[in-house]
Amino acid sequence: MKFQVNRDVFSEAVSFAVKLLPQRTTLPILSGVLIETTASGLTLSSFDYEVSAQTEIAAEVEEQGRILVSGRLLAEIASRLPAAPVKFATEESRITVSCGSAQFTLLSMPVEEYPTLPQISASSGFLPAEAFANAVAQVAVAASRDDVTPVITGVQLEVSKTSLSLVATDRYRVAVREIEWEGADSITDTLTALVPARTLTEIGKTFGHSGSISVAITSTDERELIAFQAEKRTVTSLLIKGNFPPVKRLFPETVDNYAVINTAELIEATRRVSLVLEREAALRFTFSIDGLTLEAIGSEQAQASETIDAFLTGGDTVVSLKPQFLLDGLGAVHSEFVRISFTKTENPNKPGPVLITSQSSKDQAGADNYKYLLQPNLLLR
Amino acid sequence: MSKQDGSTRQVSAAAADDGRAHILHVDMDAFYASVELLTRPELRGLPVIVGHPGQRSVVTAATYEARKYGVNSAMPMSIALRRCPNAIVLEPHFDRYSHYSKIVMDLCRDLTPLVEPLSIDEAFLDVAGARRLLGSPFEIATLLRARVLASTGLTCSVGVAATKFVAKLASSRAKPDGLLFVPLEGTLAFLHPLPISALWGVGAKTEERLSRLGLRTVGDVAQTPLAALQKMLGVAAGQKLHDLAWARDPRAVTVEREEKSIGHESTFEYDVTDPAVIRRELLRMSDKSAVRLRRAGLEGRTVSLKLRYGDFSTITRSKTLAEPTDLGRRIYEEVVGLYEALDSADARIRLIGVRVEQLAPTGGAGLSLWQTDEDWRDAEQAMDAVTARFGAGLVRPATLVASPTAQSSASRRLKQSSPAPRDAEDLTDL
Repeated sequence: MKFQVNRDVFSEAVSFAVKLLPQRTTLPILSGVLIETTASGLTLSSFDYEVSAQTEIAAEVEEQGRILVSGRLLAEIASRLPAAPVKFATEESRITVSCGSAQFTLLSMPVEEYPTLPQISASSGFLPAEAFANAVAQVAVAASRDDVTPVITGVQLEVSKTSLSLVATDRYRVAVREIEWEGADSITDTLTALVPARTLTEIGKTFGHSGSISVAITSTDERELIAFQAEKRTVTSLLIKGNFPPVKRLFPETVDNYAVINTAELIEATRRVSLVLEREAALRFTFSIDGLTLEAIGSEQAQASETIDAFLTGGDTVVSLKPQFLLDGLGAVHSEFVRISFTKTENPNKPGPVLITSQSSKDQAGADNYKYLLQPNLLLR
Repeated sequence: MSKQDGSTRQVSAAAADDGRAHILHVDMDAFYASVELLTRPELRGLPVIVGHPGQRSVVTAATYEARKYGVNSAMPMSIALRRCPNAIVLEPHFDRYSHYSKIVMDLCRDLTPLVEPLSIDEAFLDVAGARRLLGSPFEIATLLRARVLASTGLTCSVGVAATKFVAKLASSRAKPDGLLFVPLEGTLAFLHPLPISALWGVGAKTEERLSRLGLRTVGDVAQTPLAALQKMLGVAAGQKLHDLAWARDPRAVTVEREEKSIGHESTFEYDVTDPAVIRRELLRMSDKSAVRLRRAGLEGRTVSLKLRYGDFSTITRSKTLAEPTDLGRRIYEEVVGLYEALDSADARIRLIGVRVEQLAPTGGAGLSLWQTDEDWRDAEQAMDAVTARFGAGLVRPATLVASPTAQSSASRRLKQSSPAPRDAEDLTDL
């Protein structure tokens, strides 16, 4: 095999192909990047049986071929090559990479043992890339990181005719957002797909500026997978098996007790006051007509409090929230103001959840439909 | 340690007590057996064994008379009865033991707030603060022994020393019904002639390794260079052994003792192969464990299953839950999952055990938006309420209510008429 390729194009392609590979794989061969020549260039692929990534780039191919190279090593080399065309040549199991004055010799991994990448079925629909990337970032933060319960380590995608909703939860909070969806004509039923949150986050970052993303959900007897495609790049991921809990019904229909606060002020105050908190401890938030008072109490060594402006509708309210959970929600609303709504509850042993939504001004609700529901702790004292 | 039949008994008379040895170790004498004798005084002086009379049962406790025949607790009943064929076997009454245990612990707490119960019949006391009020540690120990006898009719042995380790050794040397005071300056003279097996942490294996080097007494270990011990036993274990041999034991008497795990085990009368019987037993033990968790205000995050097969090979499997639980239903579902995953459908099972680990106070994990087990929680709390009002055993899962058919199929395998095979409930978990 012999080809020459633009340095920047190549470097970007390698980093894309490698990004989704896990840090450690059980099979060494899965840490490789597969480079294959095509009529007009190259495809670079990676696959670890869970996730696959593939991209096509232009190259001047002199001699056809197929090689497998250590992905991380190739990515590091590619990112540090001088600004000159990159030339690949193979001789038996040795690969020579030369670029300007630099030259590398790499060992080819046994390409014939490399697994075949999954087949992708016809597109189920299209997503606006930027809105999708934003939505993933807003929602995935609420997904569980605890592998004990695999179904909630994923983000649930639910497709209806014209919208796609993303839902994630770790039991303590639920985040939901809906974005536009242009469904293919062939799709009549509602589709759902539970995608690992870590993978979906990377996919969101990768495709953030791609215009429109084509999505295909495939289920065969063996496995179910989802594929995202844009600009000659494809990422597939196995879906998580199991039923996602019906968390959407936890959201209240209407809430008439809420406060509107400047998002940045609340983030700053929460960070400041929680400095004295013990790990895992909660902050106390008192909402009244005079504003919002944050108090860190319970620690013997230190205490802190701060009062900021808040525009309250309805009665005074006190809630106890874990600061990190609140900050995750505040960081996701992407709006100047935030609305915190207090839902009612019939259970005396469990305070009603608070709902966090965006607010473009103190009177105007935000344009997006992001919702973040958070369970407060019991009030001590 | 010493043979537990009292043949190596050592006691002290009133001593030159300057109060520097202020740790007491109180140990009830043949506790379960002595409690049984309270209701059967005519058996005093006879070899008595507490335990179920069945073939597969083990000795729960034995009187000193029985111990002289070589009967020890945890020994299979069949062997015990071979060694002491004329022993009288009494059924255990665990409720009575906890009743008397509480009386004894309360008597200890009357003397000092620093009481660290080790098990149902043992405790450490630190009486440093009680000297002005109650006298020297020796006098306090004498007083405690008199009060225990007067309030319960039971005898105990007390060791008094400067450290927990030596106090415990002293009480075991004083048994039965004795008091051994080891003054600070006499500690090494007491400790060094003892066999190395007297040191905590020296089991049969370590003892064998040490004796191969010619080390037989605690004094031999003390005179061995630390580096040599560490080379043989590892850095930490070598250091610990060396410290103990020099009576260095910095552990204070601590009042709070967190339970690390809660669990139950039971041995079947005959090896069981029927999964339905296993499942029923798992349910019963899961419920019992959950009741104890709720009573202690704890919940656990890890559930483990123990199985001993007919050939005595033993396995444990555990699973960590997404959120901690104190519900029998959840524990049951998890252990059944572990059991089914083992695929031991046809295996002959001798013993099963259920255990909940990683305990923490209930509600500490934070509230979640929804709970999968909410309905079960209501049901089990209702059962707790019924138990609190009317006593245990009135409300049970339907599968555990003995129906005529279930009874007959179960009683062929399980030795008792009550649903319980032999249970080992552990109260000491450290």
